[in-house]
Amino acid sequence: MTLILLLLTPIAAAIASAIARTRRTMEVANLAASAAVFGLALLTAYQTLEAGSVSLWGGFLYADALSALVCLLTASVALVCSVYAVGYLREDERSGILDDDDGSAIGHFRKYYVLTPLFVSAMLLVALANNLGVMWVAIEATTLASVFLVTFYGKNTSLEAAWKYAIIGGVGLSMALFGTVLAYYSGHRVTGSDTLAGLNWSVLAGKAAQLDPTVMRLAFILALLGYGAKAGLAPMHTWKPDVYSEAPVPSAAILSSATMNCALYGLIRFYILTSRCLGPTFPGRLLLIFGMLSMGIAVPFVLVQRNFRRLLAYSSIDHAGIMAVALGIGGKLAPLALMLHMTYHTVAKPLLFMCAGNVQQHFKTDLFEKVKGGVMRVMPATGIVMLMAMLAIVGMPPFSLFQSEFLVVRAAFDSGHYLVTALFILFGTAIFAGVLLHVGDLALGSPAEPQEALALKPWREYSMLALAAVLVIIAFWLPAPLLELIRGAARVVTGS
Amino acid sequence: MEFLNNPEFGEKLVTLMAALALVIQIAMVGQRSLIMNIRMYGTQSFLLGAIAGAIAHFNGAWHIYIAAFLTITVKAILLPILLERLADRIGIRHEIEPILGTPVSIVISGALTFIAYIVGESFYHPGPGAALGRNTLAVAISIFLIGFFMMINRRKALTQVLALLSLENGVFLAAICLTYGMPLIVEVGVFFDVLVAALVLGILVYRIRENFESMDVSKMRRLRG
Repeated sequence: MTLILLLLTPIAAAIASAIARTRRTMEVANLAASAAVFGLALLTAYQTLEAGSVSLWGGFLYADALSALVCLLTASVALVCSVYAVGYLREDERSGILDDDDGSAIGHFRKYYVLTPLFVSAMLLVALANNLGVMWVAIEATTLASVFLVTFYGKNTSLEAAWKYAIIGGVGLSMALFGTVLAYYSGHRVTGSDTLAGLNWSVLAGKAAQLDPTVMRLAFILALLGYGAKAGLAPMHTWKPDVYSEAPVPSAAILSSATMNCALYGLIRFYILTSRCLGPTFPGRLLLIFGMLSMGIAVPFVLVQRNFRRLLAYSSIDHAGIMAVALGIGGKLAPLALMLHMTYHTVAKPLLFMCAGNVQQHFKTDLFEKVKGGVMRVMPATGIVMLMAMLAIVGMPPFSLFQSEFLVVRAAFDSGHYLVTALFILFGTAIFAGVLLHVGDLALGSPAEPQEALALKPWREYSMLALAAVLVIIAFWLPAPLLELIRGAARVVTGS
Repeated sequence: MEFLNNPEFGEKLVTLMAALALVIQIAMVGQRSLIMNIRMYGTQSFLLGAIAGAIAHFNGAWHIYIAAFLTITVKAILLPILLERLADRIGIRHEIEPILGTPVSIVISGALTFIAYIVGESFYHPGPGAALGRNTLAVAISIFLIGFFMMINRRKALTQVLALLSLENGVFLAAICLTYGMPLIVEVGVFFDVLVAALVLGILVYRIRENFESMDVSKMRRLRG
């Protein structure tokens, strides 16, 4: 029952926003739905901890610890972003850029508040669908729901970004569909006549050893290319900087964390099947190649970057690479590092986007050279949080991403991947230097012209501060049930 | 009318239609008129629907009839009509302007077909019940690869949409011949996604045309680095 409510609550919010007449109704509907979804995701997590897995409708919807973790992360990002979006969109309304021809901004509000809950619902379905085909449909639906969020401001550049996003996403996902068809082909002869169960994860995982190895090999390559494109692994990453810099900030925050998790989730499911069928070497090696390539490609672009949000996009490509590497290493330790990293990244990245949004709305630009510096003096809260989150995202201790990246390095070293270890540290250091160079100037430097420090803005900065508090707390203390959930998710990968 | 129930006849029929679908795909690579391209896509989708219908008939699997029906209504009728309207509204008829010329493109398509046959042979071991559509997998992979090539080879936004749709036709054919269709719920979901994707891309094409005065996506070069 929880599972279906989890999917339907956002849809109800979307319907309410579609027929609402005022901005306030849409805001209330979205806030209420996000809060409810968060509560339901917590409940699902609790149920999976109790029972191991939850399923509904004869296994059509199915949640194990991994799905529950991804759901919980999606729901938390959606909650924080829905609070932030209220302030962010009101500020945009004040500045007049949302006005349509008739001088009212309600059209833009409606677009945002209808599409975002649909987008969230699609992401939740990705994690909850038991059937690999339905999971594919849901991942495609996340792309379709978010394309018009990218064109939200209707500029030429946002059209260009949306086109790239839709086309690369479309081609990538048609490869993933081919991979899914092949997985079905290798599975449906094992399970026999029951056609719907032939693609069910819970059935396939148990019989993975009987799948046809040649077919699964091809299926994994196609799924890696397809879901990798959606997660932003190099060389299919080119849409990411464009989309993150053109979409409204709350949407970019969701895309960079929750949507990336969903794409990786698809990849993880295929990895589990393939590694149980063919052994971990073949899929592991491919993941390591793509992961290292993504980390490597991010380096030069981070170093010469001039736009703050594009910098965040390259950082997100880097982190997609880190997670692919962690998955590729295999063994017992690396999957745990992967799940920890996914959790920590999902806290830190939206936080940075929120800071970017505050800076962008005040200075009216994303370019470092135009902001010049002094964010800390003009907006003390944003400046401090930005610096802190940036240190966290490049893996500085005491922040938690240090722990997870350290675990990845240790797992790589333990399993004898010395080249991977060396490159991982090299790329990590380069990104650290690049990010600190830019953000240090932005936050600490002196402002172009002296300005008074601004007062705190309730919706935008309180939501940001709340998330920042979470980032600080999880650096030192992870609640025991959450840790148990993360361990459970890692056990889904290792299969023990 | 006994031959209608003879599986051997069914296999020949399916192979013939699949071959025609491949011929159409290669013709689309060479064809420069946009309207003709859209109609070819419609015809190809119709053939796929017919293949699905034939397989449903010879295997007595009712859920494939639904897939066949959806293919013909959505992909062979609805989408071509929508695309032609869009082409009319933005006023283009004859401008595909591929990057490589027709002869080279056709040679590349031939090579891709060859690769598809090698790949297809390497892992297709038909089980006892899978006599129908033995040669169809290679055709499906060819359509997929050629669609991919068309995607790269074309500059205009609308023609890229067509390439994407025909690429998806290849996946559909593979699903039909390998496994006699995906489970119904997945099939319906995929159709819904394809339809929505075509609408979304259509709206984008329309707005790109309005804002850029051109649909040449190679001219959209503002976002870099």
